[in-house]
Amino acid sequence: MEYPEIDEFASMDSPIHHFDPRAKIVSFTLLIFSFVFVNDIRIALLGFLFSLFILLISGLPIGFALKRIRMVFFFLFPLLLIMPLTVEGTELINIAGVSVSMEGLAYASLIIIRALAAVTLAITMLATTRFDMTIKALYALRVPGILVQMLMFTYRYIFVIMDEFSRMWESMECKGFTLKANYHGLSIFGNLLGMLIIKSYDRTNRVYQAMVSKGYTGKPMTLINLRMSTKDYVLSTCMVGIAIFVHAYQLGSLW
Amino acid sequence: MHISDGVLSFSVIVAGWAIALALNAVILWSCKCKHNMAEEIPKISIMTGAFFVASLVHVSIGPTSVHLLLNGLLGVVLGIMAFPAMLVGLTLQSFLFQHGGITTIGINNVMMGVPALLAYATFRFGYRKGINPSLLGALCGSLGIFLSGILLALMLISTGEEFREIAYVVIMAHVPVMFIEGVITGSVVTFLLKVRPELLPLDKGDMR
Repeated sequence: MEYPEIDEFASMDSPIHHFDPRAKIVSFTLLIFSFVFVNDIRIALLGFLFSLFILLISGLPIGFALKRIRMVFFFLFPLLLIMPLTVEGTELINIAGVSVSMEGLAYASLIIIRALAAVTLAITMLATTRFDMTIKALYALRVPGILVQMLMFTYRYIFVIMDEFSRMWESMECKGFTLKANYHGLSIFGNLLGMLIIKSYDRTNRVYQAMVSKGYTGKPMTLINLRMSTKDYVLSTCMVGIAIFVHAYQLGSLW
Repeated sequence: MHISDGVLSFSVIVAGWAIALALNAVILWSCKCKHNMAEEIPKISIMTGAFFVASLVHVSIGPTSVHLLLNGLLGVVLGIMAFPAMLVGLTLQSFLFQHGGITTIGINNVMMGVPALLAYATFRFGYRKGINPSLLGALCGSLGIFLSGILLALMLISTGEEFREIAYVVIMAHVPVMFIEGVITGSVVTFLLKVRPELLPLDKGDMR
């Protein structure tokens, strides 16, 4: 199992890395929402190129980003095969009585381009900030405290539980277990899962007691010393501007 | 299983966010009244982490492999807190592993969380009626997947007629997962009932 180390390259040096986390979250989220609801394939493509441009500025290793962007592409790729056959429209070519429609192809590509733009932006946003800074920024943005705390704890314990799971998994594999989709394999796997749940539950008690003894009351105090500079204002205004402009342009071209 | 960004229409996404946020607010508020939140937060979070890790496991069937959703089991173990736990899990999943999209967290939360709540209700109701817990667990596990599949198909069709065939494909893809999760959930419930029955959200009066 691979650790989900999204902030592996957060200590690099680039304009995006220095962008204030609060402003970064707000402007990137707006951009994502804006690009995802574009209906024109040309504008969607421009949005995707803009996302790639931001990714390039951030200087993140290409392999790191590509590995994650590829995932989304493979997930949505079947659409490109199914939709041209099922959506009716102008016939592009006719293969043995099955017509491939232009509209289906265009619609499937539009979906994939929108998704790729969104995932590129999301990776750039998270990979350029340390995860604890993202959490702090969420507090500062007045996201409900319960949710932010749950997000933080879950993220922290994913790593621990992954280790625990791998240990149990390895010891089962040592004894000759392979996970196959038959009754025996699945019910044994169910027992493993049950044990993982029990171990995690026992851990919650220990963690909770340790936290209470260090003064945890459910209302964490965060020391937030974020300050917006002129650069941050300029950058976020540009991004929000682009997010709005894309839709204004689309509305304009409709009329 | 999860919907990616860019597939659904604006109105479906907005409706998803509205339902998800409203349900989360109600559940968290009612939990705040009943329990000490300081104690609940670490508990729910670590359990969410466990389910998150478990859902990374891929089971291979024939040439392809499916990953587990475990929303039925999540409902059975966490009770109504399964819904906010799902929100947190999906947020992390979309940002850390790029499974599912960012704009679709709301709709995915509804798609996975509502069946989890129904699985929980079914489990409690069935347990009171005295149905064999292993069977009941299996039923809840497959119910969770079945309802998610139906909801996903409905969402796709309500976005546009173009998705009708894709919706059928999606439902078909859920059938094997339904059986797999049924067996797994049944076995987990049997195991928990034997080893640590207090982990299942059953009232004292329910215990036999």
